[in-house]
Amino acid sequence: MSANEPVSHLSEGELRALTADLDAMHHDLTLPALKSSLSEWSDDIRAQAAAGRRDERAQRSRVDRRRFLAGAGGVAGAALLAACSSSTSTIKNSAATSPASASGSAMADGTGQKLSGDLKVVAMAASLENSGIATYMAGIKAATAGKLGAVPPAVVTFAETAVAQHEDHQKAWNAVLTAAGKQPVTAVDPVIQPTINTAFAKVTTVAGLAELALMVENIAGQTYQNGLSVITSAAGIKTAASIQPVEFQHAAILSFVLGKYPVPAAFTGVSLARPPSDYS
Amino acid sequence: MEIDETALGGLIEESRDTHADGVRASREPLEQMVDLGRQARAATSTDPDENRAFAGENRQRLAATAARAGGVLAATGVIAAIADLIGSPAFASTGTDVQVLQTASSIEVLAIATYKTALTLSYIGGSTANPVIKAFATTTMGQHADHLAAFQAATTALGGKKQAKPDPAFVPVVNKAVTSITKAPAASGALLVVGLALELENIAAETYVNNMSLLTNANAKKVTASIMGVEAQHVAILNAVQALLKAGAGADITLPPPAAKLPAAAGSVGFPNAFYPVSNAAPASQGAM
Repeated sequence: MSANEPVSHLSEGELRALTADLDAMHHDLTLPALKSSLSEWSDDIRAQAAAGRRDERAQRSRVDRRRFLAGAGGVAGAALLAACSSSTSTIKNSAATSPASASGSAMADGTGQKLSGDLKVVAMAASLENSGIATYMAGIKAATAGKLGAVPPAVVTFAETAVAQHEDHQKAWNAVLTAAGKQPVTAVDPVIQPTINTAFAKVTTVAGLAELALMVENIAGQTYQNGLSVITSAAGIKTAASIQPVEFQHAAILSFVLGKYPVPAAFTGVSLARPPSDYS
Repeated sequence: MEIDETALGGLIEESRDTHADGVRASREPLEQMVDLGRQARAATSTDPDENRAFAGENRQRLAATAARAGGVLAATGVIAAIADLIGSPAFASTGTDVQVLQTASSIEVLAIATYKTALTLSYIGGSTANPVIKAFATTTMGQHADHLAAFQAATTALGGKKQAKPDPAFVPVVNKAVTSITKAPAASGALLVVGLALELENIAAETYVNNMSLLTNANAKKVTASIMGVEAQHVAILNAVQALLKAGAGADITLPPPAAKLPAAAGSVGFPNAFYPVSNAAPASQGAM
């Protein structure tokens, strides 16, 4: 008897139950830990900002400390991550025929903010998630319109799940921004998006879409890996570290479906990583 | 998706060859790094000028070995990270970092031993094995050997002793599982093997994710970050393989899989968490010496 032979029959319903169990475990264990990390990271960022402002003030003149605290402490940690379990995407232009437009109005979509330190990495990461969401959404729309030929149900599930997870990631990154008193980023990555749009315009098959998604996932995973060397807050590192492997998991499954070896290297690199300057 | 059975066999062979080449190409420089790390530690007690010269020489040697590896390692940044560790004139050695790296090494040792044992089973590494599972087990074992070499190199560069023994906390668990596997018939044995591999890969991935906020040395972090995503990819594939085996669809474990035949839920079984958990992470000092 070989590994190819049946052990037992698992129905679609049982398989769904299995994934539901895993999903429940995720909500019971992973999300509370993530919320804790995000809250801690926001505290770190506020502390860094407060320290920076204190230094700045000390150089200029002595001012009343109570006035400063009143200004800096207004954002409550409880407002963090109202829903990291995904719902609807607020991404700008995500339902467009092409993945998304790279141009956005200043501030309304989070662009044009003056960010520094960890927040620059966070904003860029959020924009990259938006690009990922936009790519999958445009792909789903094209598939629904029959432009990609027959789409296997498992591929549909993959795309829907990947979108949901990218939405969770985007919300996590944006929760850090809003907790720091900044605007959430709903715009796509302005540097990489034109490349995605050009590639998407040539997609006519599910395999073509999977190739494009693979590129986006690898860019995201490598960007967060690179970000782990840039982020200073321990809580921020925890958050980025919890997202990076998931992007590489998406990449592995996409490679597998495409008939490529799913774990192509013993080490993941950073040569495709987007720099924080993408969003500055 | 149409499957070309003739092309599939060639593709698997091609993939196997490519990865065997990759493993061979990376093994030599990684093994050299372990030696260099040990030498670098010995050099720190000498004259500062000698240390600087030693560091410069190491960088050149690592660059040369990276070039010989055909860019396989250089592109990942691992060579650069370990070169920085070894070449640093002042080692930012901390007890915690060394412990974390030793524990990571001990997990890799266990993973290598587990895959090695699994590959002795005819239905995993023999003539009756599914070729994709066999290729995966073989390649993954090689990748864990590369991870072990990288963690050991980082450990020695930080002044610690390289850990070459398996994580003592997990050894009884693996031994018990292996006993069950060897007594099991092929079909259920394959599922047990995949289950054990999945458990170990998850422990590795979760441990390394958790370690990212424990490590203080920047280059030790880079090395760990370049490995944790790979373990997570192993988990994703094993999740999918396990689901197909449980569904009695072992014949569908092909490269590529017959996507059109698969149930819808198979599309998401590989990556159940939006955020990688750490609840099963090994404590930092569990495998420390």
